Amino acid sequence: MRSQFNIDKFQQLLIRIVLVVVPTILIGYITLRFLNFSYTSLNTGILSQSIYFGLGLLISYALYYYGARWIISIIILWIAYILTEKVISMLPGEFDVFYATARFQLYSTLFIFGWVFGFLLARVKWSYAAIFGVLATVTLISISDSIDVSLTYILTRIAPVVVYGLYMLFLTPLLTKRIEVTLKKSGKFALRIVLFALLILFAFIVTKSLMKGNLKAVEKELASRGAKGDKGGSKNDKDNYDDRDGLMDKTDDGYRLKDTMRVNSKMSQSDKLMFCSKLDNYFPDGSPAPLYFVYHYLTRYDPVKETFTRDVNVPSFDEMEVDPTTIPMYYSYTDTSIVRKSLGRKLRKVVEAQVYLSENTWKHSVLGPASVFSIQTIPVEKDFQKTFISGYKITSFTSELNNAYFVYNVSANPMLEPLQEQRHNELRSINNYTKLDKKFLDYYTETPTGGIYDSISKLAFSLVPKDSKPVDKVIAVRDFFLKRNENGKRVFRYTLKAGAVDDPNIPSSKMLYNFLFKTHAGYCTYYAGASLFMLRALGVPTRFTTGFATINRSDKNKGWYWFYASQAHAWTQVYFPGYGWLDFDMTIGNEDQQGAPKPDGTPPLPPPEPWLVLNAKAESVNATTKSLDVSFNQLIYFNTPYILIKFFNRPVDASLCRVLFNKRDTTFAAIQPGDSLIIVSYKDEAKKFPQPRAGVPIEQQVQSFPSPIIADEIHIHKKEKAKKKDELGKKAAKAQEKKLTWQEIAWVAAKIIVALLILVLLLPLLYLLYRLARIAFAKDATTKADHVYRAALYRFHMAGFERETETPMEYAEKTIDPALAVGFTNFMRMYLRLKYSNSTLQEGDEVIVSNFNQPIGGSIRKTKGFLKSIVVYFYPLRALRYFQQPEINSETTSI
Amino acid sequence: MSNTSSKLKSLTDNIETIIRGKPQEIKYVVTALLARGHILLEDNPGAGKTVLAKTLAQSISEGAVDFHSANGAVAFKRIQFTPDLLPMDLIGSYIFDEAKKDFVFKKGPLFTHVLLADEINRASPKVQSALLECMAENQISSGDHTFQLDQFFFTIATQNPIEMEGTYPLPTAQLDRFSMKISFGYVSEEVEFDIYSNYQTINNGKNSVKQVLAYQDIIQLQKAAEEVYIHPELVKGIVKIVQATRNHADIALGCSTRGGITFIKCLKAWAMVNQRDYVIEDDLRALAQPVLHHRLIFRNREAAQTVLQQIVSLEVNKLAKLGIGMKK
Repeated sequence: MRSQFNIDKFQQLLIRIVLVVVPTILIGYITLRFLNFSYTSLNTGILSQSIYFGLGLLISYALYYYGARWIISIIILWIAYILTEKVISMLPGEFDVFYATARFQLYSTLFIFGWVFGFLLARVKWSYAAIFGVLATVTLISISDSIDVSLTYILTRIAPVVVYGLYMLFLTPLLTKRIEVTLKKSGKFALRIVLFALLILFAFIVTKSLMKGNLKAVEKELASRGAKGDKGGSKNDKDNYDDRDGLMDKTDDGYRLKDTMRVNSKMSQSDKLMFCSKLDNYFPDGSPAPLYFVYHYLTRYDPVKETFTRDVNVPSFDEMEVDPTTIPMYYSYTDTSIVRKSLGRKLRKVVEAQVYLSENTWKHSVLGPASVFSIQTIPVEKDFQKTFISGYKITSFTSELNNAYFVYNVSANPMLEPLQEQRHNELRSINNYTKLDKKFLDYYTETPTGGIYDSISKLAFSLVPKDSKPVDKVIAVRDFFLKRNENGKRVFRYTLKAGAVDDPNIPSSKMLYNFLFKTHAGYCTYYAGASLFMLRALGVPTRFTTGFATINRSDKNKGWYWFYASQAHAWTQVYFPGYGWLDFDMTIGNEDQQGAPKPDGTPPLPPPEPWLVLNAKAESVNATTKSLDVSFNQLIYFNTPYILIKFFNRPVDASLCRVLFNKRDTTFAAIQPGDSLIIVSYKDEAKKFPQPRAGVPIEQQVQSFPSPIIADEIHIHKKEKAKKKDELGKKAAKAQEKKLTWQEIAWVAAKIIVALLILVLLLPLLYLLYRLARIAFAKDATTKADHVYRAALYRFHMAGFERETETPMEYAEKTIDPALAVGFTNFMRMYLRLKYSNSTLQEGDEVIVSNFNQPIGGSIRKTKGFLKSIVVYFYPLRALRYFQQPEINSETTSI
Repeated sequence: MSNTSSKLKSLTDNIETIIRGKPQEIKYVVTALLARGHILLEDNPGAGKTVLAKTLAQSISEGAVDFHSANGAVAFKRIQFTPDLLPMDLIGSYIFDEAKKDFVFKKGPLFTHVLLADEINRASPKVQSALLECMAENQISSGDHTFQLDQFFFTIATQNPIEMEGTYPLPTAQLDRFSMKISFGYVSEEVEFDIYSNYQTINNGKNSVKQVLAYQDIIQLQKAAEEVYIHPELVKGIVKIVQATRNHADIALGCSTRGGITFIKCLKAWAMVNQRDYVIEDDLRALAQPVLHHRLIFRNREAAQTVLQQIVSLEVNKLAKLGIGMKK
């Protein structure tokens, strides 16, 4: 009988799965597709995404169809999650963990979504309306992000969801009853569904044909509106969208690439000022020679994630790793090993630059041309502190062959053409890479093989003979991008709309393939990525470089360059033995570029040259004469840092001095005795400062320093406060570094909610434990009876015997004892006597208490089943009812 | 205690031989007797009200004993209330004594220990009012004379539901004199079958009800009932119930203070009838309806059925949550 019933129910479930769950999974898959188009950071394979979503939906639908409890199943899920996370954390390798977790988070989110939908569909009658709403919103958001403005596009995207909604609207009334599975009925049912589908189709066709004229007008309007914002031509991009179906194998980024993300994510047309720089690099004729500013080298290609990553363990890692914010004012950090690692000796020169960072810039890494090997922090002039928050001076090695002007299209520039020719000739003197370190060469020419990569390699081989000079290979690749078709039009175009606009990542292999063979349109990372693969295939060591393109807009302030967010850039660097890494930017110019270039600003005044910087401690401060006594054992004397063998004391005259705290101007009164100060004295002939004497110990030279030392700048580092401030700053920096995405926020919120939920769920159990503990620790028999009474009432209540308006005595007689036979009535008689009469404990009462208390648990378990007797403690509503007063309507409402 | 309980038991057992299947109602009647109150039985004709009243009376009295020459016996009088009844028919009247050449007071049937006022609402309110003084103060005034009744004066009144034809509703003041008003109700199927099978014997027994308690026993039991312990927390609960009836939106007339006192008296007697010498929270629930309900005037029919229950349940539940020594 029972199994018969179950088979019947199972049949019903199967029917419902076919009719409800499968269409929902399908619509989920379609929505996920749209979502993945617009947010490539989701990419982990659309199929697996929908499988997880579908799995969650299916399982929860089946569970809830069979009447599972919502809260308990959530707890089980949560436990499963914790266990999985444990397992993942045990996986070897940091990367695996990261990868697994990132993927896991996305999948589990989808799974939970599926789960919730399954619950809604199984339990809430009109829930499909909510699901329809969610899916429609998601679809709308994802397609609104697209650059295609054709109305047909939008209609076709939104159509599946609408059809789904109508289908469910049509279906839901049929689902309330038992569905018969006779041939006749199912035939009828199928017929109805087919008719419904035809109706929908018909409606669509009619609407379209009737509205054709209108639609076109709207489309036109939309197109014209869209064109103002982006001029990337929408037609080609549509192809691009369609081709991106299978590209979802990229993970959302994390890693050190975050830095890259920051650079590139500003690539959207933002005109925020990032930084400005004075670069002391000039052509022999004195005109400025700009250099690209490097942010990071991305050397390793990860075929699994299909992205480029920064690799600190790379052979000859020539990126200086220092956080400029940690260097005290005027101090410098030099890493001479960079000079060696940069691998260039010929035509090297040292370039100095000042960099002033605005608040938009990531200030924990160094930005500089080529191989930066030394950095010194400098203050920002008072008038410019609003624009720039910090500054540093850098010294770097670069090749004379490097130049920002050496983008390949230098034709019609009489000065640059010969220069470039000269450069190419110089590089042609290099033979193939024969004498190179094998490891180095292998690393920098490593490309994955198979499929797309092979076709890229083939393309590269078709461009240039394999035995050409390296520089000719580079030029060949360059010329490939500059190719013109028979109409004289460029084949390749520059567009920011190649991928999703905000996609900060380096394009995946398939996107590159499309770029090279189909769309021919992309932005800098496309050009850089494609040329990197081609050059590596040709055996030329190449690396991916991110940073900023330097644009010389005017010669008004010679050597000053201004960098806006839109100048964030990616290009390739090619290694030439003896010359080191040289910039080769394959990105072609944007012919559609419109709008006036951002103007340069007013450059900040150059910081004065100090002859002396003291890292001192304030011993005493005289605010009236503005003088102070300091002790110090560290100093920078004519740009050479020293550490003294003992502390020296000197008075300091600060009457004309600028006092700064936290890089901001303040007053002299801010200096407290005990503060550590950096005291700067400028070079000024009037000061009669002593010149450094070679060969004389610094301590002796310090003896001859003038007294008092005239200070021009004092930077305060508050002893304790400063530290705290620093920490705060670091925290803020970290927060900035780890800008929470909405997924993360939602994740955290979900965690908090679940934690609260669990707490709420555990409360009834905790209360039981409390009650039992009170029995165990009862002082005397009377209190014990009392606690037994309370615990028993609670336990009976939770076991499902809810006392309503009965008195406990009636409850014992009529409800508990007939069901459980634990002698509650007997106990109640005794208890009420103890409670309401003035007699005390009698002989035998304690026996009654224990006779009653002992068998409660066993009896409940016997009647309710072991599992249920425990599970009932997870019904918070029931527990809540225990603590509620019986309802009484309008006790005192009269006034 | 054992003495009183055995006496009580013999009384209830004796009544139960005649009145089958109504132990609760018998207890109520006994409670009213022990609480020195009066009881009003209300039901349709033929439910056994009168039989109960008579049986009780016969269990404690020798029958038609003359009140004035009783001397330790319990006198029992029965008055059938009819529409043409006059107050003087109850109280008595002055009549001219030829021999003494004077008016002498001829005492009416109210001068008794146990009074069965049958179908009290068939008489006009003016007759009903004749009972007011004797029920409340155990005395009867006529003209300028006041006659004291015995300390033991117990009225059992029966009445038909007021919806029935030819009835006059009891005035509120009169109703308040009754400690309890209970509805008799029909018996269950099995009991009814039992009654029909044995009506002959029951009928015979009716006329031969033994007297099991004497006058002294009643007085003793009434005293014992007063000794029953009632916990202050329960008294507080009663206060809250009484106050709640006064402040409730659906109750037009709340419980009087006399009602509250009667409630406590009845609770004590009830506890004793239930073989206890202390009152418990269950007693409140058991007695609230018979003791309090007829004193209240509700604004609507629905409230009449639920409100008092709710008020009492709330209070009882609060009491149930208190621990021994009345700790929260």
